[in-house]
Amino acid sequence: MATGEHSSRVYDQELESIRSRVLQMGGLVESQVRMAIDCFEAGDLAAADRVIQSDRRVNELEVELDRAVNNVIARRQPTAGDLRMIMGVTKIITDLERSGDESTKIARAAKWVHEKQISMRLPRIPDIRISGDIASGMLRRSLDSFARLDVAAAAPIIRDDAGVDERFRAILRQLITFMMEDPRTISASIDLIWVAKAIERIGDHAKNIAEHVIFISAGMDVRHATPDEVDRVTAQA
Amino acid sequence: MVSIDLAVGGGATAGAEAPRPPLKAEARGLDFMYGDFKALKAIDMPIHQNKVTALIGPSGCGKSTFLRCFNRMHDLYPNTRYSGEIRLLPDDVNILAKSVDPIEVRMRIGMVFQKPNPFPKSIYENVAYGLRVRGVRSKAVLDEKVEEALRGAALWNEAKDRLNDLAFEMSGGQQQRLCIARALATDPELLLFDEPTSALDPIATASIEELMTELSARVTILVVTHNMQQAARVSDYTAYMYLGELIEFGETDQIFIKPKRKETEDYITGRFG
Amino acid sequence: MTAVMQPAVERPDVQEMRRLVAAGKRNQLIFAMTGLACTIFAVLVLLAAFLDLLFDGLPRLSWEFMTNFPSRRATEAGILSAWVGSAMVMLVTMLAAVPIGVGAAVYLEEYAKKNWVTDLIEINVTNLAGVPSIVYGLLALGLFVYQFGFGESVLTAGLTLALLILPIVIVSSREALRAVPGHIREAAYAMGATRWQMISDHLLPYSRGGILTGIILGMAEAIGQTAPIITIGALTFIAFLPPAPITGEAPFVNFAWLWSEFTVLPIQMYNWVSRPDKAFQLNAAAAGVILLAMTLVMNGLAIYLRYQVRKKIKW
Repeated sequence: MATGEHSSRVYDQELESIRSRVLQMGGLVESQVRMAIDCFEAGDLAAADRVIQSDRRVNELEVELDRAVNNVIARRQPTAGDLRMIMGVTKIITDLERSGDESTKIARAAKWVHEKQISMRLPRIPDIRISGDIASGMLRRSLDSFARLDVAAAAPIIRDDAGVDERFRAILRQLITFMMEDPRTISASIDLIWVAKAIERIGDHAKNIAEHVIFISAGMDVRHATPDEVDRVTAQA
Repeated sequence: MVSIDLAVGGGATAGAEAPRPPLKAEARGLDFMYGDFKALKAIDMPIHQNKVTALIGPSGCGKSTFLRCFNRMHDLYPNTRYSGEIRLLPDDVNILAKSVDPIEVRMRIGMVFQKPNPFPKSIYENVAYGLRVRGVRSKAVLDEKVEEALRGAALWNEAKDRLNDLAFEMSGGQQQRLCIARALATDPELLLFDEPTSALDPIATASIEELMTELSARVTILVVTHNMQQAARVSDYTAYMYLGELIEFGETDQIFIKPKRKETEDYITGRFG
Repeated sequence: MTAVMQPAVERPDVQEMRRLVAAGKRNQLIFAMTGLACTIFAVLVLLAAFLDLLFDGLPRLSWEFMTNFPSRRATEAGILSAWVGSAMVMLVTMLAAVPIGVGAAVYLEEYAKKNWVTDLIEINVTNLAGVPSIVYGLLALGLFVYQFGFGESVLTAGLTLALLILPIVIVSSREALRAVPGHIREAAYAMGATRWQMISDHLLPYSRGGILTGIILGMAEAIGQTAPIITIGALTFIAFLPPAPITGEAPFVNFAWLWSEFTVLPIQMYNWVSRPDKAFQLNAAAAGVILLAMTLVMNGLAIYLRYQVRKKIKW
């Protein structure tokens, strides 16, 4: 990536401002995700409300950043590294905003489940907590790799997504078993499926962010590639 | 299984490489001296046939000097010396050799200059001049070639009713297109453009750029420009030069999305100096 | 005036400014009036001289004056031999000066390498313009009249005057050639023209106006030269015409007129002015009017040409 200052200071400031707002948005979404998973486990309804509220700020940031990006494209005609940064940022914003939405879904499910006090009939699925932690860890690491534009840190995240997907399938199997054993748990199990699905989607978004980081940093488009191919390709970067 | 789409750069993937387009010319180890000053240092560069190759770089980097080697313009001035080769294909002759007549080179390779410089003659005579120099006398042939050249330069409709008017009466953009028609009339193998739009307004610039793209289907084009966006818009290949050296050469998409050299990236993104 | 701009808040500063501006305007007016007065004075003096000449000479002009030979009787004297002689000498001058002058200019500007030899030639060419005309006469006497044996003829006079105006022709031709911008030459070369094609197809046609102007100015200079012509021995009383260049019998062009003795207008005037008879002074004035008219016409032509050329070619 290019270092050094632009001949136009203001341009540099604009890019820096975009970068730091993306990180700000990322931090917000990261804490949303963690809080949502925690409140689901703990039944903390107040926390669930906070998660839902914070989504508003995330959406505001999405709109602001899109506008900022449009301005840069219109006025600066970015090229090379700046171009990849801008294009990557637009995609990262989208993934972050969706992750925020998924967290909101988890929070809403938490409220619904605990309000209805169905927790008695709630199957205990430790995998949900585990995959939740993994997914939120992936999100944190992908944002770190964006902050440092570190390809070596981004590549493993792509591999980890397979694990999250695998856990989702495991959770599904367990829940199906529960539902078959005791039809009274169907309603609660379905809610758990939504939550598990949301977590799996967050893992996907984190993987996407890592792919965008690889594009920004190394100029390689690794979406839709297998993890082995990704490793091979990023080793050359 | 979906194979990786390597947007830019990167190494080999499964499958054969696309065949390289044929070359029209190639510079090999080209040095150029103004007196004691070495203006060009060991340039190796391919010029692909029927493609537009752009030369970019900061002022004084040698891009115009390099361009002018192709039609031996430096021979007109004292104290200049070439070393190395520029081979013109398909006959593979080194056009810089002392044994090669510069007049012959200029008959095969045309040039359009920065400031439009039509002769103070009529539009017809301007376009016909190259043909007259080559001994064409027949009015029928001249008429036909003049029309063909003016059509090629997208100027026929504006000029056909005033072929005998002085070229100076045209606008700047039209004059530049006239200069292009003048160069086209002799069916050159290679067309050199030296910052062709830097003296023109944006609309005239756009029409010349479009013309360059159209012409490249028939003629190989080498263009020097200090406007990077123009290079990005118009060219298939881009060469970045600095202080007389070729820093990087590649397909335009690659240069503008993922340049290989930091110096190129710095220049393109405006982080220069 | 270097008044410092201050915010126009206080009255006194504005007044100071006004005072300075008024003083400047006064100075300007004084200077303009002085210049005008000098110009008027110069013009009036010239006008007076012309009018005096016209007053004396104009009545004497007539068809007979133009077609008579000089005679001892003032009223029968005419300038036939003088103006025919002038015309013939001018013809030779032009035929000699133009190719040599323009050729030299083209060589110096386009072919000569820029080294100390060329510099030396250039310096000498411009210096030649300052050589007194009588020196040219002496040179011609020794070289053309005696050494080459051309005698005191139209040919000698023409060649002498050609040498005299050569610097003018060369310098103005070079200026005209230099006025053609480098990018036109480059465009011509880029089209595959040889050096000679570039010169004949482009350089000379485009500098035509300037070159012609130079030639005409040179001719206007030459037509009034007296000292060198006297030196080479033009006769002052000629009652015959040189043989006609074009005759009715074959071969239709002959060159006998080149070797003939002759006179020119300035010499005829000089001859008449030195006579005591006042009537001859009037003749001289009349001849002077003719000479003046020819000079003015040539200068006018040069100005007109320059104007025409500027309209057609805008660099």
